[in-house]
This record gives sequence, C-alpha cells and structure tokens, in this order.
Amino acid sequence: MLSLHGLIDSFNQWCYQSPVLSVLRDTKLGIPAVQTAHLLGIMTVLGTTTVMNLRLLNLGYRELSADTFLPQVWTWFRRGLFLTLIAGFIVFLPDPVRYAQNTSFRVKMAVLAIAIAWQFTIFRKQVHSPPSASPTAKTVVISAVSMILWFGVGWCGRAIAFFG
Amino acid sequence: MHDRPRLVGPAHFCQIAFSGQRTSMPTIQSICHWLQHTEWSQDVLQSSLLFPFIEGSHIMALAISVGLVLILDLRLLRIAFRGERVAVVMKQSAGLSMIGFGIMFLTGIILFVTQAEKAYNNRFFVIKMILILAAGLNAAWYQWKYYPSMDEWDQSENPPLGPRICAIVSLVCWAGVIGCGRTMAYEF
Repeated sequence: MLSLHGLIDSFNQWCYQSPVLSVLRDTKLGIPAVQTAHLLGIMTVLGTTTVMNLRLLNLGYRELSADTFLPQVWTWFRRGLFLTLIAGFIVFLPDPVRYAQNTSFRVKMAVLAIAIAWQFTIFRKQVHSPPSASPTAKTVVISAVSMILWFGVGWCGRAIAFFG
Repeated sequence: MHDRPRLVGPAHFCQIAFSGQRTSMPTIQSICHWLQHTEWSQDVLQSSLLFPFIEGSHIMALAISVGLVLILDLRLLRIAFRGERVAVVMKQSAGLSMIGFGIMFLTGIILFVTQAEKAYNNRFFVIKMILILAAGLNAAWYQWKYYPSMDEWDQSENPPLGPRICAIVSLVCWAGVIGCGRTMAYEF
C-alpha cells in the first residue's frame, strides 16, 4: 500500500521527469506565458471582487440594480477564478518542491482555501440576495473579510518572490 | 588624505552622463544609468520591505483598474451587463479606476527609477510602454469620437462597430501590458 510520502515522491518524480513539463520549465517564455494567464485571472478575480463589494456596500455602482448587476459580476468572478486556478496549477507543476518549500506559498494556499470557502458560501449568499436598503453591519463584515482574504492571496503571491 | 567630495543629485548625474562623452547632450541611456545608480533608488531597491511593498501595490492597483476596465469593455462588447447603460457603467467605474491608475503610475515610476537602465534595455518593457500609450490613445479616441453620441446607441442592440473595436483594443492592450510586465522580470 502506498503511503502519503510515497504518493508525494511519485508525484514529484512525474513532475520533474514529464517531457511536457520539462519543455515548460526549460523554455525561456513558457513559464512567463502561463504566469501571464494566471495574472489575467487574478486581475479578474480582484477586480470583480472589488466591484461586488463596492456595490454591496453602496460605495459604488449605486445606479446599477444590485439584483441584476451582482449575479453577472459573480459569473465573471468565477471565470476569473477558474483561469487563475488552472494557470496557477500549471505554474506549480514544473517545480513543485521549490514552491512547497516556500513559506509564502504555503500561507497563500491556506488563505486561498479560506477565501474560496468564504466566497462560495457566505459571500455568495449576499451577492444573490443583496440587502435592499443601506448595508447592514453583517454586510460590512462579509465584504471586509472578502476583500482582506482575496487581496491577502494577492499579497502572498507577490511575497513568494521576495520572502522564503 | 582628502577624499573627493561625494556628488549627489544633479552633480552626480552630470558626472555620469557626460563622462567620457564628446557630445554635450546626455543620452537616454545615460539618464537611465544615473537614475538607477542614485543613492535613493539603490536604497529603495535593496530595501527588504519597501521594494516588495511598492511592487505589490503596483500589481494590486493594476488589478483594481483593469478589473473595472474589464467590466466596461464587456458591456461595450455586449458580452455582459446588457441591461445596463454604457454611460452609467462608465460613470460608475471612472472614479475608482482613476485612483487605481494613479497608484499604478506612481508606483510604476518608482519601480522604473530603481531599475531604469535594466528596463530601458528590456524589449518587454519597451513593448509594455507602447501598449500603455496605445491604451491611453484608444481611450482618448473613444472619448472624442464616440462619447458625445453615446445617447444614440447606448441601449441599442446593434451599437456601432467603433466602440466595440475600442473595447477589443483596450482588452488586448491591457492583457499585453500584464504579459509584458510579467515577462520583463525574467530578463532582468
């Protein structure tokens, strides 16, 4: 029976020996191209999250109906997240050990997991049934947590390059 | 023994820019060299917290600006938010988007100064600057050509081709800016 360590070792071996990932790792523009797709996804995620929170808090997009506008922004948030996760995973695969040993990367993954859980449960409920009048304290907290978590993921991502 | 006085600011610039040159005009290369080697830019570049903070702020501000531009471009292309008026989406996005662009430009200038010579010789940086210029000209063209007549086609199911082309150019330019910004770091 394979142990967890055995599984991780096999996965690493596959990552470092896979011809496709070798091309990606060794080609000069391979990783920057995938990172660009990752960044485009992140821009969409952070941009749409900001827009949704501004509308929820009545700080922006006030002239747009929350009932129709927010669900549409939510759709683009999901698309951005999908692109971010797929491209991010492809960036991770060619050199998993280097990322796994990076503390900032580990923190980023933890914050990302919490952010996704928050966004697809509590936050999603707010987006699909937004408060009709001025935002309640509950909405303020939900929005603030959402912004802190997603921009936290972004900051942790930048920290990977600077801090171990 | 007397050390030569340490030149800073314009004096340091003149010393570097004109050294060994017969021409009286400094080149862009020499200005970039001076910028990158000022005490101030080296301090920022070598700071373990300030430089990552400025770079992080640059990207976060870009995310806000480009995110808001995306909303507007999707509406112009009628891919999303079809029920909303373009004029309203534009008006609502403008303020925060400009704040984002302001932070992005300010932090971008600081980042450039700290690595001016490297950036000047980097082809992706040059392409990035051209794309930013193109995005700006595209936005100005939209404002001049299509903004005044927006009421006529704002809620039409078949808006003119021009605004839609502007939206595509905007998306391509900003995607290119992000791509070049990411790739240029690999050539430093």
